[in-house]
Amino acid sequence: MQLIKFSNINGALAAATCTLLAGVSNAQADEKSNDWQFDTAIMYYGEPDRVQAVEGVVSATKDFGDEHVFSTKLVLDTLTGASANGAVAQTSAQTFTRPSGNGEYTVEAGDTPLDDTFRDTRVQLNLAWNQPWGANQKVGAGLHISNEYDYLSVALNANYALDFNRKNTTFSVAASYAADEYSPEGGIPLALSKMAIRGDFANDDAFNSGFDDTRIGESENKDTLDVIFGLSQVINRRWLVQFNYGYSQVDGYLSDPFKVVSLVDDTGSALGHYYESRPDSRSKHSIFAQSKYHFDSLVWDMSYRLASDDWGIDSHTLESRLYIPLSDSAWITPHVRYYQQSAADFYRPFVQGDLAEYMSADYRIGQMTAYTLGLKYTQKLSDGDELSMRLEYYQQTPENSGFNSPGQLADVDLYPSVSAVIFQLGYKF
Amino acid sequence: MLQTQQGYHWQLKDEHASIHFNAMASPCELLVDTLEPELVELLAKLAYAETKRIEHKFSRYVADNIVAKINSSCGQVVEIDQEVFQLLTFAEQCYQLSEHLFDITSGVLRKAWHFDCSDNLPSQQQVESCMQYVGWDKVKFEHNSIRLQPDMQLDFGGIGKEYAVSRVAQLCLAHAPNNSVLVNFGGDIQVSQAKKNGQAWHVGIEDPITGKAEQVLQLTSGALATSGDTNKYLLKDGVRYSHILNPQTGWPVVNAPRSVTVLASHCIQAGCLATIGLLYGADCEDFLQAQQVKFWCSR
Amino acid sequence: MKKQLLALSLMSLALSGCANLGVNPWERDLLAKPQMQLAAESTDMALDDHIYFSKEATSGGRSFAGGGCGCN
Repeated sequence: MQLIKFSNINGALAAATCTLLAGVSNAQADEKSNDWQFDTAIMYYGEPDRVQAVEGVVSATKDFGDEHVFSTKLVLDTLTGASANGAVAQTSAQTFTRPSGNGEYTVEAGDTPLDDTFRDTRVQLNLAWNQPWGANQKVGAGLHISNEYDYLSVALNANYALDFNRKNTTFSVAASYAADEYSPEGGIPLALSKMAIRGDFANDDAFNSGFDDTRIGESENKDTLDVIFGLSQVINRRWLVQFNYGYSQVDGYLSDPFKVVSLVDDTGSALGHYYESRPDSRSKHSIFAQSKYHFDSLVWDMSYRLASDDWGIDSHTLESRLYIPLSDSAWITPHVRYYQQSAADFYRPFVQGDLAEYMSADYRIGQMTAYTLGLKYTQKLSDGDELSMRLEYYQQTPENSGFNSPGQLADVDLYPSVSAVIFQLGYKF
Repeated sequence: MLQTQQGYHWQLKDEHASIHFNAMASPCELLVDTLEPELVELLAKLAYAETKRIEHKFSRYVADNIVAKINSSCGQVVEIDQEVFQLLTFAEQCYQLSEHLFDITSGVLRKAWHFDCSDNLPSQQQVESCMQYVGWDKVKFEHNSIRLQPDMQLDFGGIGKEYAVSRVAQLCLAHAPNNSVLVNFGGDIQVSQAKKNGQAWHVGIEDPITGKAEQVLQLTSGALATSGDTNKYLLKDGVRYSHILNPQTGWPVVNAPRSVTVLASHCIQAGCLATIGLLYGADCEDFLQAQQVKFWCSR
Repeated sequence: MKKQLLALSLMSLALSGCANLGVNPWERDLLAKPQMQLAAESTDMALDDHIYFSKEATSGGRSFAGGGCGCN
């Protein structure tokens, strides 16, 4: 009987051959195109009946040799549409004053009150420099500026990375400090003051004076300090993992000047709407773990984030991407994301009786689950450029975290779902 | 029509063009299914330049190239470029896949072995004194550097020519995407891609002993490589010692075929299979059978 | 606080396990692919982060939580 002595190594050898020949030609191509590399994208984000946004991104990177890399990014986005103002829906129509104090908007019976005055254009510029420091270390620094009609943010960041264990293990630390200034149209509202409505005043002057009483100034500031410690580890030829611990400290004006909380009576009828009030500091901790695994042809990217802050919001985020090659030059990437958060301690969909020191009806800090389903198609072109298309569906489902709905509030939807479609075109060259 | 340029020449025949030059101690030939002089000139220029570049970079006989630098580094770290790293990576993989038989550090053994068809066998002691400088596992390399133990030697001779054939075939595919090019460097062959009309290139496989074309192979795509010891061996007491040395023992492989030709998709892949096959000696055919490739052994 | 302790112990576990983990430089063929980079799809991630920053209470983790926009 003949024993099988030899295994088939030809497959592995063919793979090694392809790596050799592809790698070398790429290496020589890289030497030639030591020029600027561009990554561009345009994205549309649309919520039916609510916000629509279009965002364009141009990133440019240049390697000045020996991994001394300069990168810059320009983002332009424009936002229009309506956003929930925090007030409860009622079984009759309601009238609200616009944030500017000029004019009113009316919300039909049963509808979630949406403020339809959102219109903003934002410009963002990032600059960054990264380079090796000795044989096993890397350092980098960056600047981030974002400017809107009513918002300015300037941030500085720095990062350090240390490779060891044959560059299989990387420890990194990064810090960012941001200073933001918020100057909303109509000024900053006085927390817990009642929204002035023209109908409650005898004449325009009385109303204007009443509106001015709800204002405390033109602008407010906020400072954010972020620190992230990271550890990435190559497990084997196919598997790479990353762990991050992040700490974030935000101080300053953290309320949303456009959001109110409804004060309701026993029948659930709104007696008035009061500008929300949030604490002036927030500490967040997060743990992020990511795994990338290369199967024979598929690559599976999976990540989990646990976050917790002193506002009482805990969240879990689970995300998965699968890279499925269709040919040597094309692949599709299905994307799934699941997100769940608990409500902030001071979250109130409405208040009864007395106002609280801190209160907000912003559904975005209430209990919520959300998921995203997406699919991306990427095509490498013959000249090395890369074209991609991405379509995603995002749904948020706010949930009642234990509030009883008195009277008419039982008949309206206090926790409406929000869905959005995201479409993106990308081109790298 | 015959064109002569620096180092290479080409001519147009009935249905194809042929390019000739000498490099890597072999006659080098390219057959192109075109009669356009501009394209032929372009391919000839590119192929010649690339072949000479590889020969100069990886030859053992060039005094100031990277191989010489590494081999005379006396244990110091030497900086390497991406291409050298890729070839070392490939050599590493061949070493692992061949149960440590394929070893580009085994050239040191030539100090003990002189294959001049005589009966002068070295002593076991001579072989052993060389063996301490053999062993790929002693080589440490990273993306941009390598460190060799003092007195060890790298030799890309076993893969250099096949690598050049594969690279030139790749270049031809990139610059003549609508043509089929057969690259033939002294019997190591690769076709850049199939002819558009579906016809095959006719390749004669020679019997290494008689030198006669033993059979004609219809090659539409893929590559052929041959390893053998036709003219290099020792003969003592009726035992034929091939010039293929086993890096594990320091001794020649016994009962290896005189010549092995393998058909695979890339020349460098075919060449490695043929070389590893020879290193398995008497088991050469069994090994190649398991690889599910077409092969010809002559004993 | 308990959560943080757990995280720290996980990290040190990962650290102490490092010595035996990893690959040699010549075994990085798969890790070198663009899809295997931790920063892969950075443009998509940045766009997504901006959306989720403005629609959810948590941000950051992978990278800076950031301030940066009024984002309603």
